[in-house]
Amino acid sequence: MTATTETRTSRPESAPGGPGRKRRGDRRTLAGYMFVAPFMIVFLAMFALPLVYAAYFSLFREQLVGGNVFVGLENYTRAFGDEQLWTGIGRVGLFFLIQVPIMLVAALAFALALDTGLVRLKRTTRLAIFVPYAVPGVIATLMWGFLYGPDFGPFAQLADWLGTSAPDFLGPDLMLGSLANIVFWEFTGYNMVILFAALRSVPTEIYEAAAVDGAGQWRIAWSIKIPALRAALAVCMIFSIIGAFQLFNEPQLMQSLAPTVIDAAYTPNLYAYNLAFVGQEYNYAAAVSFVLGLVILVGSYAFMFATNRRSRR
Amino acid sequence: MTSTVLKPRRQRPRRSTVLTIGMLAAAAYFLLPLFWLVVASSKTSEDLFSTFGLWFSGDFHLFENIRLTLTQDDGVFLKWLWNTLLYAVTAAGGGALLAALAGYGFSKYRFKGNRTMFMIVLGAVMVPTTALAIPTYLVFSEIGLADTPWAIILPSLVNPFGLLLMRVYVEASVPDSLLEAARIDGASEFRIFFQVVLRLLAPGFATVLLFALVHTWNNYFLPLIMLNDPELYPITVGLARWQGQAAAAGGASGDLIPLVITGSLLSIIPLVIAFLFLQRYWQSGLVAGAVKQ
Amino acid sequence: MTPRFRRRTGLAAALAGPLSLAACGRHTVDPPKSVTQAEIDQAMQTPTELNFWTWVPGIEKEVALFQEAYPQITVDVVNAGQGNPHYAKLRTALRAGNGAPDIAQLEYQMIPSFVITEDLLDLGPYGAGEIGDQFVEFAWSQVTGANGEVWAIPQDTGPMGMLYRDDILQTHGIEVPATWDDFAASAAALHEADPEVYLTNFAPAQGAFFAAMLWQAGADPFGGSEGPDLNVDLTSPEAEKVARYWGELSEQDLISVDADFNDQWYQALNKGKYATWIAPAWAPTFLQSAAASTAGLWRVAPLPQWEAGQQVSSNWGGSTSAVMATTRNPIAAAVFAQFINTDPASTGTMANEQFLYPPTKAILEDPAFTGQQLDFYGGQEVNGLFAEIGTTVAPDFQWAPFQDKVYADFTATVGTAVAEKTDAFAAMEAWQQRIEEYAKYQGFTVRQP
Repeated sequence: MTATTETRTSRPESAPGGPGRKRRGDRRTLAGYMFVAPFMIVFLAMFALPLVYAAYFSLFREQLVGGNVFVGLENYTRAFGDEQLWTGIGRVGLFFLIQVPIMLVAALAFALALDTGLVRLKRTTRLAIFVPYAVPGVIATLMWGFLYGPDFGPFAQLADWLGTSAPDFLGPDLMLGSLANIVFWEFTGYNMVILFAALRSVPTEIYEAAAVDGAGQWRIAWSIKIPALRAALAVCMIFSIIGAFQLFNEPQLMQSLAPTVIDAAYTPNLYAYNLAFVGQEYNYAAAVSFVLGLVILVGSYAFMFATNRRSRR
Repeated sequence: MTSTVLKPRRQRPRRSTVLTIGMLAAAAYFLLPLFWLVVASSKTSEDLFSTFGLWFSGDFHLFENIRLTLTQDDGVFLKWLWNTLLYAVTAAGGGALLAALAGYGFSKYRFKGNRTMFMIVLGAVMVPTTALAIPTYLVFSEIGLADTPWAIILPSLVNPFGLLLMRVYVEASVPDSLLEAARIDGASEFRIFFQVVLRLLAPGFATVLLFALVHTWNNYFLPLIMLNDPELYPITVGLARWQGQAAAAGGASGDLIPLVITGSLLSIIPLVIAFLFLQRYWQSGLVAGAVKQ
Repeated sequence: MTPRFRRRTGLAAALAGPLSLAACGRHTVDPPKSVTQAEIDQAMQTPTELNFWTWVPGIEKEVALFQEAYPQITVDVVNAGQGNPHYAKLRTALRAGNGAPDIAQLEYQMIPSFVITEDLLDLGPYGAGEIGDQFVEFAWSQVTGANGEVWAIPQDTGPMGMLYRDDILQTHGIEVPATWDDFAASAAALHEADPEVYLTNFAPAQGAFFAAMLWQAGADPFGGSEGPDLNVDLTSPEAEKVARYWGELSEQDLISVDADFNDQWYQALNKGKYATWIAPAWAPTFLQSAAASTAGLWRVAPLPQWEAGQQVSSNWGGSTSAVMATTRNPIAAAVFAQFINTDPASTGTMANEQFLYPPTKAILEDPAFTGQQLDFYGGQEVNGLFAEIGTTVAPDFQWAPFQDKVYADFTATVGTAVAEKTDAFAAMEAWQQRIEEYAKYQGFTVRQP
């Protein structure tokens, strides 16, 4: 990731650079900087600077009694040996492995189905699937919390009428699944919209040509559309890796319904938050945040490496 | 759900009943909790906890709840709504534009540091910032931004997901040959971007705009930590304030619970409108037409 | 607009300068030995803006009374939610060194947590040293420090009683339990008579309730702690008694163990799943709106006792007004904190219009307050009963200097054990151990008496 590795990207470059066109190339390099500058300036001030400061901050240890001392990497060695942190990472890892594939397959299926034009009430359906994304997490959890309710929730009452009992959605066994369902509900529409927009940027004449050649919808989806969506799917995947490993809102809000199931370290991000705002271990919380960031980075990189290798084959 | 999607066979694409039913079933699932929200918004605080949650009670109180929500604390809800709108629209519009510019820049230009900068942006997203409120607050207050609208708008302008998405769209839908042709015609780099490229990016741009809009709209922790002046609150912090009061000791404060629920319902509506409006950009023939050249 | 402090440190200085975040650019008041009346008068006639963070609904009324009395002072009321969001925001601003309010709402159990980080201003020199006898003893003892400092002014309290469903108990012929032994017997009888109903609910994440139970039983786990010397004793015989009592009720499935203050719990209250709610003096008003559909069915009784014939209660909740050490207007802030909590018009409004349960003797002895008959409780004089209970609250109970962490660990250990019907006393030992470890990490010297 150093500056020397940058210019050679795997993309075939179109600019036919020759010695005679060098001045033009300089101008274009400048234009490149100009395009990215506004974003990068705001990014550095609003995003990178606080992170750098937090990184510096993570090298200290400030006690309630005894003040502040520089401890070097001690917070990091503590984090690497912190069982609670790694249990949490394992839990969100499991969450990722189960929830994300289901969500992305569903989002892909919805996007493809809507794109075929075979569905009636297309706009309504698309809106219905997307709307949950617009619902604040607080409200989403409130609503699902009601639906999951073990005494007065509709599933529980329905089961009661049928003379059985509904599964305990808020119990230790099902909680991760219940959270996965909330995240599925919130974000399937989001991913669907990304994929749907990506489908729209594929030139339609390709489908038309395929249809003229006698290919069915299923065939077109499999052979043309899904390959065209590869880049967009990769984007969704990276978002989902980050989203899963940084899981915070939903478990934090569900805590009020099931405080003994969702403990303070249920997910790593929740753990960092509780370290900072309940335990006042701000420095260690910063270190935990960076360790988690590193785990996500490694995960994302591994994913990209794996998919690149497969597509090269 | 997935299997129904795979059903359609070789028939000419008209309308498929199986597929429609499948999608409607999915829609029902996604709308179920919202149905609860609508039902709950129509109840008094008394009925809210004593009648069956998934159906209306005899006393239809929706309009009264809306009136109460809009008039509580001298109509502060409308002020919050206006703030939210202001933050979300400026942050989303600006953010989507910055992401489009930068995504295009990273994708189509070779310059020193291109890949490094891009990787740094992506790497920064990997670190969760929830627990880093204190360093963040300190930096912001030193820059002089704490307790101003800029503390909400400026950070929301940086949308790393938007950047990644725009880069992907640029690569997928802006052919190099088109740029070369424009350059040969003598167009400047920025003119090419605003007059040619931006139109090609319409679906991506609309997507990023929508996401940035929703993201800023639902932003909670950042405004909570950054803003002290209640006049600057967005809806999320305002509703949390009511919710806090509802659970607080003393006062006839439990009556605020229906207002929190009704307020939530009302706060979703502008986003639904935004979605319907932006949807046109995915549906128009704009894109396909432009690619034909 | 909030008063903006001079920016004394540039960002560069913040990055390279003092290592402690808390130290950087932070101004604190050096409390004087005493403040003369002339100084106070002068400060109160100087145009000043005060910033006040609170979640109390309708507090604007008392603020208006203050501004009427001191027209030169304007008070900005800020509400950032209750509980954790409020404290997270407050700590962030305090540690960053600017943006913190002059006065903040603090619950009693949080006072030592802000004292240990030197965030509170001692109000003693500002006249608060002389107002102690206006407040009930248990409230005043919780806002004062070991050396007579006055860290906050009490605003409301929550002496513990028992709210019960008269109709449910009568239907099953159960008498209102006066002792905890009676209570356990009634729990068994009621649950046998109607398996859908529990005599009470034990909320496994409500550390404040459990603290009130420990307090009543005479356990004072952090008693005698001072500054860096911390006493932790959660395995005393008194504490063991409380843990085993609730653990056994749960093991026999005689009580429910639902989390409280959420939708399910409100439903349960409305639908009669719990026949009692062991709750403090602010609960009656809260219940009127949270369980509106059960109007007229509830009554209030004193807390069940460990020994027949005794009358001992404790406290759950209530809060105070504290002045932050970072304030630029210590005199005006200190006067404000005292005014809203002692001025007769202000305290009267709080008690009678906002239903904050008062800590001032004047109101607690006022028949206009104690004689109010509440229809929700069948016309019972609920305030009067709690005023009597208030006189039986033991004044000596001390909070840990990190009580929010103590509560979080309670949920993870004892709360979970009661909910999952495992050994509650073993969980007390685990709780003790967690707190000891944390305290040592934070630099305290831990003593177990």
